[in-house]
Amino acid sequence: MSFREKSAWVALVAIVLVSAMYVFHVPRVFAPNPWAMTALVVSLVAFIVIEVVAWLVLRFRHPQDAHTPKDELERLIELKALRLAMYVYVAGSFLSTFVTVHHVRGSAQMLGACLLVAFIVAGIVNYTARIVYYRRHA
Amino acid sequence: MTKVSIANHIRRLRFEHREMTQQELAAKIGVSRQTVNAIETGKYWPSLEVAFRIAEVFGRRVDEVFDYSREGRR
Repeated sequence: MSFREKSAWVALVAIVLVSAMYVFHVPRVFAPNPWAMTALVVSLVAFIVIEVVAWLVLRFRHPQDAHTPKDELERLIELKALRLAMYVYVAGSFLSTFVTVHHVRGSAQMLGACLLVAFIVAGIVNYTARIVYYRRHA
Repeated sequence: MTKVSIANHIRRLRFEHREMTQQELAAKIGVSRQTVNAIETGKYWPSLEVAFRIAEVFGRRVDEVFDYSREGRR
């Protein structure tokens, strides 16, 4: 398994873990909640910390790979995965707007929560697609 | 429908060059070992630049390293 694939795994696990933590602390994601913003900031910080620590561990274990710039296949995989994630995020954004406008209790907070969900799903799709493409080319 | 196929002789050429490892070839052409493996097994067709670099490492022409073939009707 290459260094970049391991990095994608780390990011995927981190995003799933942090999202699960967020949903655990803010169970009704779409309803108004005074702790939503605090939980969001804490989740974001937790994600960054997990990513940085895991990246440092990976870099320590694979010092040569970590310093090697991305080659053309790795860049292609990243672009393909990002394109898929973009489709998901754009579809999620349109769906969020539609749901908020047509929902009886639609609010700015609900729109924000919907966009956050779309962003997280897009992130999961991004890293999952990278792993799938890396496996396909392995 | 035309089906394009690009085969290569990298495995044989590595063997002929004192059993060069994929890692050594990767270091010489500036890509990862996984990318060399993907090229060698035909899962990925490299750019012209990388194809020329591979040929240069083995001291061959590009068409001696890669075989291009087309099958079927246009």
